[in-house]
Order: sequence, then structure tokens, then C-alpha cells
Amino acid sequence: MEGKKQKTLIIGIIISFGFMVLPLLIEGYWIRVMSSIFMYAIITGALNIIAGFAGYAAFGNIVFFGIGAYTTAMLMLRVGFPWWTGVIVGAILAAIFAILVGLPILRLRGHYFAIATLGINRATEQIALDWGSFTGGGKGITLPLPKMEIQSFYAMIYFIMFGLLILTVLTNLLIARSRLGYALRAIRDNEDAAEASGIFAPTCKVIAWAISAFLTGLTGGVFAYWFSFIEPATVFDIMIAVKAFVMMMLGGAGSVLGPILGAFLLELISETVWGQFLTIHMLILGIIVIVVVIFIPRGLLELFRRKISLAALIKNIKNQSV
Amino acid sequence: MFLQVLLNGIFLGAIYANIAVGFSLAWGVMDVINVAHGTMIVIGSFVTFFLFKFCGLDPFLSIPFSMFILFLIGYSTQKYLLNFVVKVGVFLSLTLTFGLDLFLINVVLLIFTGDYRSVTPSYSGTNFQMGSLIIPYVRLVTLVICFLLAVLLQLFLTKTRTGRAIRATSQNRQAAEIVGVNVAKVYSITLAISAALAGACGSLISMVQSFTPFEGGFFIMKAFIICVLGGLGNVMGAIIGGLILGIVETMGARILGTGFQEAISAIIMILVLIFMPKGIVGSKYK
Repeated sequence: MEGKKQKTLIIGIIISFGFMVLPLLIEGYWIRVMSSIFMYAIITGALNIIAGFAGYAAFGNIVFFGIGAYTTAMLMLRVGFPWWTGVIVGAILAAIFAILVGLPILRLRGHYFAIATLGINRATEQIALDWGSFTGGGKGITLPLPKMEIQSFYAMIYFIMFGLLILTVLTNLLIARSRLGYALRAIRDNEDAAEASGIFAPTCKVIAWAISAFLTGLTGGVFAYWFSFIEPATVFDIMIAVKAFVMMMLGGAGSVLGPILGAFLLELISETVWGQFLTIHMLILGIIVIVVVIFIPRGLLELFRRKISLAALIKNIKNQSV
Repeated sequence: MFLQVLLNGIFLGAIYANIAVGFSLAWGVMDVINVAHGTMIVIGSFVTFFLFKFCGLDPFLSIPFSMFILFLIGYSTQKYLLNFVVKVGVFLSLTLTFGLDLFLINVVLLIFTGDYRSVTPSYSGTNFQMGSLIIPYVRLVTLVICFLLAVLLQLFLTKTRTGRAIRATSQNRQAAEIVGVNVAKVYSITLAISAALAGACGSLISMVQSFTPFEGGFFIMKAFIICVLGGLGNVMGAIIGGLILGIVETMGARILGTGFQEAISAIIMILVLIFMPKGIVGSKYK
């Protein structure tokens, strides 16, 4: 067991080192693509904490992305803070928002929670839209441009996103190994039984959601700085959250590396397919989603780990159909 | 003036109720949140648009056609896709319908392109006056058809054998299976009916507003809110929820301006979720 752990650690370090030197080999377009893949991986990893471990399908999780982005923009423009202060304050605000909203709505279960998060996302987006004098409204808002060469700026964003990704993976790992992680998984499997065996579910869920919100908020802030233009329709886009959900399920919900793997795979596929079939790439994405859900509902990681054969997959489908 | 706003609210509410009835049926009976329901409504609109533009068929007469086409789409979706995952959990089926939604949107986009379309028969825009109230013909007939469909659905669920099987499955799938209900078939029929209602709704909406292949998300949001307001999975709940939402939105727009309309309905939904989680009418099909 110790040997296996060491092997995993070494592989992890090698892969991280690979991503550290990657910007020397690729440039321009691919650096941006990789940064955006990292971004999706962070959002998916953050979603995994609440949806994968605790089983609470926070479809509106992207609201924290928007809060992070708008806080960064507002602090840079209206107060004159440096960008990184804005990002950190935005993430803290997102976490506080998650705690305040989570206390009432994390009592809801199943679909009701999922819908409530959608509603919160919608309401926040509308407020950002209608409060035009402060947020810039539907026209969006332009951030101060970074005072550095564009190439090094993109390289910097690459490394920031990569750093955040490592942070996300480590957070996931820590939670998976901690008491909190066991509590969350107990809640996912049976909340009543978990509470009966002494887990105080409300606190665990709120903490999990706040951590998830913090990571998502950080990404949102960096996104705002990176694109230097945000509008409610982009940063509160429910499609980002739904895509993250699909990535999480593709890789394997509730595992540490599964969601990250899913994000890399789906974004790379989507990026390569994008170039080939400009008009039907969303159609193909839709088909991929359907195939993943029917054939590998537990995710790719489970597939690799157990070396499941095609016959076993088909048998599994027969078992689970009505 | 107040009466006119109220009447407009009721007209809007009837359409909202119609959006939600089918959605709530699938959700209540099978625990399937069909995210593609909105796009199914849009497909209904496009069927009407196609028949009106190329065959000159009256939009109201095209309702059976769009219902039939959506019935087939719904039936095959459930039979060949959703039945494989529906037992496992809500999130799998939700994610699957999301994939289906992307697929359907893009198929419609390939066929009809992304232009704004509208269906304008000769009588659209005409109205009659009753006292000080202005009543558009299209809206009035739409209201009547919406309630007719709801009544028919209610009769189907309570009086026919299949309807009773649907309600039995909704209450307890295993027990229904034991007494000889073919659950797979009942599920297929349920989604088919839900989709057919979406088709009818789409035909009606095509005369009220212009539409693109991307309109589905808007309808889904409304359907969510209405299901939460009225309570899940019963016809009466969807109607009451729809009417409340229609009236609140029209009144809200009149008093506060149209800007905050969406935020208001989202906030109402969250409050109802927290304080009345079973909705105003409550309880499943009985």
C-alpha cells in the first residue's frame, strides 16, 4: 500500500512538472486552450465537493463564479484594488454568500435543492443585469487592461489557473481523507442514517458548499482579469455549470481525480471537434452526454479501475433499466 | 385598468400552466426532470410554423399534428434512452435529458436556422371590447384550449385504464409492477403524453410570440417555478401555479417595471421552496 501511494505521488509530480514546462513547447492558441481546460477542471473539482461527495446537485454553482468575477471587476474599477486582492475578496464573498444562502436551502433535498440553486443563480444574474448604474448592466463591464506584454500575460494566467487547479485537487484529496469527507459521503448515501449515527448534517453541508464556492469564486475572479470584459450572460451562464456536471459524471463523481480527468477529456474533445465541425459540435456534445450517461454512469475512473468489459457494461444497463 | 392587467395575467398564466402541466407529469410520475421539455415546446412551435408557411394550414388546426409528432419523439426518448437510467437516480436522467436538449436544439437549428420566426394568421392582432376590457381573439382561444387540455389530461388520468396505471406507478413503482402494470410501457406513454402537451403548447405559443430554436431554457425556468409554486405532479397544481405566476408577473411588471420581473419570480420560487416545500396545492397524483 505504501509503495502504491509513493508511485501515485511520483506520477503526480511528473505530470505537474510536465504542465509546468508545457508553456515552453506550446504557444498562443494552445496556451489559452490549456488555461480554459484548467478553468473547467477547477469548476468541476469544486462542484465535486458538494455534488460528488455530498450528493447535492448544485446546478446553480456558477453563481459563485459570477460573484467572484463581479467582485474583482468592481474592486478594481471602483476602488482601485490590485487584481489579486479583488480575486481573494471575491472568493471570500462567494463563500459567505454560500453560507448565508446554504443555511436555508441546503435543508431542501433532491431536485428541490437543484432547482433552488438555479433560482438563486437566476435571481443574482437579474440583479447584476438590472443594477446597471453599479454593475454596468447588460452592456457588461470592461476591466483595466494588464500593463504587460500579451504573451507573458497569457503565460501568467496559465500558471495561475494551474496553481488553482493544484489547490482544487489538494482540497479534494484532503476532504476525501478527512472526517468531513466521510461525513459527506454518509450524507450522500443516506442522510437520515448519517444524522442518526451522529453526523450533524447541516454544518457539514454548509462547510462543503462554502469550500466549493470559495474555489469557484477564485476562478471567477481570475476569469474576469483574464478576459478583461464580463457581462451577466457570460459569468452567470448556466451552461458552464451544466457542462461541469457532465464532466464530473464522465470522470466519476465523488472521486478525487475523476472530475479533473473528465474536464480534461471533454474540453479536449470539444476543442478538437470544434475545429472540425463548426456547425454541429454542440450536437455531437449532446450525443456524447447521452452515451456517457447510459453506458458509463459511474464514470471513466471506475471503468479503468475495475477493468469492466463491454459485456459487463451491457449487463449493467439491463440491470438498471425498468 | 386593474381588471385589464388581471385579465392579461390570466391569459399569460394559462400559457404558463400549459407549459408546466406536461413537465410536471413527467416529474411527478417518473422523477424525470425533463430539461428538454422546453425544446420540445419549441419543436411544436416550428411544426406549426412549417405547416402554416408551406401548407397554409391554420395554426389552431396544426395542434394535432404537433401533438402527434411530439408524442412520437417523447415515446421513443423514453423507450430507447430514459428507461435505461430512470431507475438509477434523478441526476442521471436529468443529465441525459440535458444531452438530448443540446441534440434537439441543434437539429432544429440545422433545419430551420436561428432566425426569429413568428406565425401570423389573418386574425392575429384582432380583438373585441367588453366594457373597458380589450380581449384579443387569439389569447382567448388559447386560454380555452389550455384549460380544455388540462381537463382532458385530468379525465385521462382518472377515468381510463392507462391513466390509472400511470397514477399507480407514480405512487409506488414496485407495487404497480407486482399487480401487473408494465412499468416500462407506462413510462414511455407518460413521457409521450408529456411531450404531446409540450407540442400543443408550442403551437399555441407560436401565435403569441416570436421564437428561435434557443427559446427552450426560458420555458424550462418557468416550468420549474410553476411546479414549485403549485406543488409537484398534479394537474391542478400546475394550473394554479401557472395562473399565480402569470398574474404576479404582469402585476409586478405594471408596478415595478419589466426589469425586475425575472428576479421577482426567482425569489418567490426560493421563498416558496423554503417555507412551503410541498407547494400551494401539494401532494402527488392520487
